[in-house]
Amino acid sequence: MFFDHFAWSIALRGLQYNKGQTLLSVGVVAISVTLIIFLGSLIGGLQARIIDNVTGAIAHIDVTPAEREILALWQFEQPGVLYGGQREAIQPRQATIEDWSVWVDRLELSHPQILAVSPTVEGQGFVSRGARREAVRLVGMIPRRHNAIVDVESDLVSGRFFDLDSAEIAMGRPLAEELGVGQGDRVRLVSATGNIADFTVAGVFETGYQGVDSVTIFLPLRDAQSLFGVGSAVTNIGLKLERIFEADRVATSLEGQVPYELTSWMADNERMLSALRAQSQSSTLILVFTTIAAGFAIASILIMLVVSKLREVGILKAMGATRRQITTIFALEGTLMASLGALAGTVLGVGLSLLVAQVRAGDDRQVFPIEVTVEVVITAIVVAVTVGFVASLYPARRAAKVDPIEVIRGN
Amino acid sequence: MGTEGLAHVVRLCGINKVYENGVTTHVLHDIDLEIAAGEFVTVQGASGSGKSTLLNIIGLLDTASCGELWVAAREVRGLSEDERALTRRDFLGFIFQSHYLLPEFTVLENALMPLRIRGGGAEARRRERVIGLLEEVGLGDRLGFRPRELSGGQQQRVAIVRALANEPVLVLADEPTGNLDQKTGRLVFELMLRLKEVSGTAFLMVSHDERLARETDRVVQLVDGRIADDREQASLRGN
Ligand SMILES: Nc1ncnc2c1ncn2[C@@H]1O[C@H](COP(=O)(O)OP(=O)(O)OP(=O)(O)O)[C@@H](O)[C@H]1O
Ligand SMILES: [Mg+2]
Repeated sequence: MFFDHFAWSIALRGLQYNKGQTLLSVGVVAISVTLIIFLGSLIGGLQARIIDNVTGAIAHIDVTPAEREILALWQFEQPGVLYGGQREAIQPRQATIEDWSVWVDRLELSHPQILAVSPTVEGQGFVSRGARREAVRLVGMIPRRHNAIVDVESDLVSGRFFDLDSAEIAMGRPLAEELGVGQGDRVRLVSATGNIADFTVAGVFETGYQGVDSVTIFLPLRDAQSLFGVGSAVTNIGLKLERIFEADRVATSLEGQVPYELTSWMADNERMLSALRAQSQSSTLILVFTTIAAGFAIASILIMLVVSKLREVGILKAMGATRRQITTIFALEGTLMASLGALAGTVLGVGLSLLVAQVRAGDDRQVFPIEVTVEVVITAIVVAVTVGFVASLYPARRAAKVDPIEVIRGN
Repeated sequence: MGTEGLAHVVRLCGINKVYENGVTTHVLHDIDLEIAAGEFVTVQGASGSGKSTLLNIIGLLDTASCGELWVAAREVRGLSEDERALTRRDFLGFIFQSHYLLPEFTVLENALMPLRIRGGGAEARRRERVIGLLEEVGLGDRLGFRPRELSGGQQQRVAIVRALANEPVLVLADEPTGNLDQKTGRLVFELMLRLKEVSGTAFLMVSHDERLARETDRVVQLVDGRIADDREQASLRGN
């Protein structure tokens, strides 16, 4: 009977009349809601930043040639077997994907999560300019495809990326500065397989991802193929997904359909993810305890309220108020106080988060990567109101049990 | 039940009350009592003779150990706590020694409280009547006051109107003038008499004041939990 006019009027008047207790409860709830929203937004933003640092510039799933399993004789259980299968010589030549153009087309259509597919030839190498020499990762790719994996085009400092011609490369600004080169300068690339070729720096970019800007050189796919001597094959096919945390699931679902090895970024970053998970859990734990404390605070304030109102409750019951009506009064008071607190806490929490999100470091970078999401705010409100309701049940039941005769006799 | 039952607002038949907590206290012994509609009955007796206990049993606030009790023509034995509450709400009114007004609410809201508890539009329907009763007891200009802004006598007058708000068949008044000085007590008592005439509600009042008792329809004397005397005084009332 949450629509009982009588219960509402007693509850509302009680809240107005006992301003001190009301404000105290509202304050307690407001503080915990503020905390939930602020901490939630901060942790969420931090984790989003960390995960973006890891995944922003890489393929979410990497397709590579399956590693041949080398069979050894001692792995066979039947005695007397002398020849256990083919034993591949470990070749200096990289394993490759020959029929990549077929698989690029198939993969694009294979799963709704897949946003982009980029075939690449990747390997270690050196870049040199005069006497300066740097170890780099060489990535041969089709620029318009690869830009979906890491957005170089919009982070160009100078020159081109999309229309790299043969014998042209793009590199990050930190690397260019290290080598002392700029757009239009010539450099020499040496691949791990020992091939050498000269290139022109056609584009300089700064994506903000350390792993790309300082150590990666992008070159046309064909140039990389000859530099690494892989013919017309590629070494990797990178997949970009719509939702990064689907990577494991998508990789597993593709496993049976693709004759190559699929590695999700999640498998590669298992440790980081479990650290993040632990961080989330400990912040959740803090919030749970905060919420429980708030619940106990409301409950004890309400118990004080009930005790101070035993006389009134008794007289209302004498006049014919039912148990349920009395319960409703105090359940309403708890829920209303929590709702007011949730409202105040939402304003405070969102305000505080937005304020702290404004804090900038010297280089104008955001210091605290706060992300206020609707989910966090709704969670905080729902939790607070629920806690208020639940916390009011014990005091409400206690009030409902008051025997009017004790009130009347006691006086 | 017979037709005679309908003439009575309450009927007690062999009511006993025994407290058993370590020692056995037999407070009420075989009480037989009937109160007619519109009757004003005073209960008298020494302190500890069981007057309050009797009123609380009739008012369904307490339960008898044995015996039969009808309130508004229904047997109340076996009613659940909520059913007893609803019976109180719909048929009974209470006035206590203390006024027990709710401090958060105004005079008018306090007087309307039993109707608000009942819900279903009762408050709106009877509002005018309750305002009329408040005017009748001289509080027409105090409707928006809080209880603490009233004198003791005024507070008790609000409590009387509140007891009548739901148009009960019987008002139970346990020493309603006990906290008031003699003059104010007399005033409050006279108001009860007048309201009884206006509303036709029966009253069962506990009072130590002999002079007040003499002006009511009937006086019941309790001695050690037994009815020692039950005297109609209709001749004195002159009707
Ligand atoms: N809960 C209880 N347990 C045991 N005995 C009780 C209890 N309540 C009341 N009594 C006893 O019942 C008897 C009658 O009490 P009651 O309050 O009805 O007296 P009363 O006539 O109203 O007295 P007073 O004029 O002082 O108000 C008393 O002797 C009291 O001690
Ligand atoms: Mg008494």
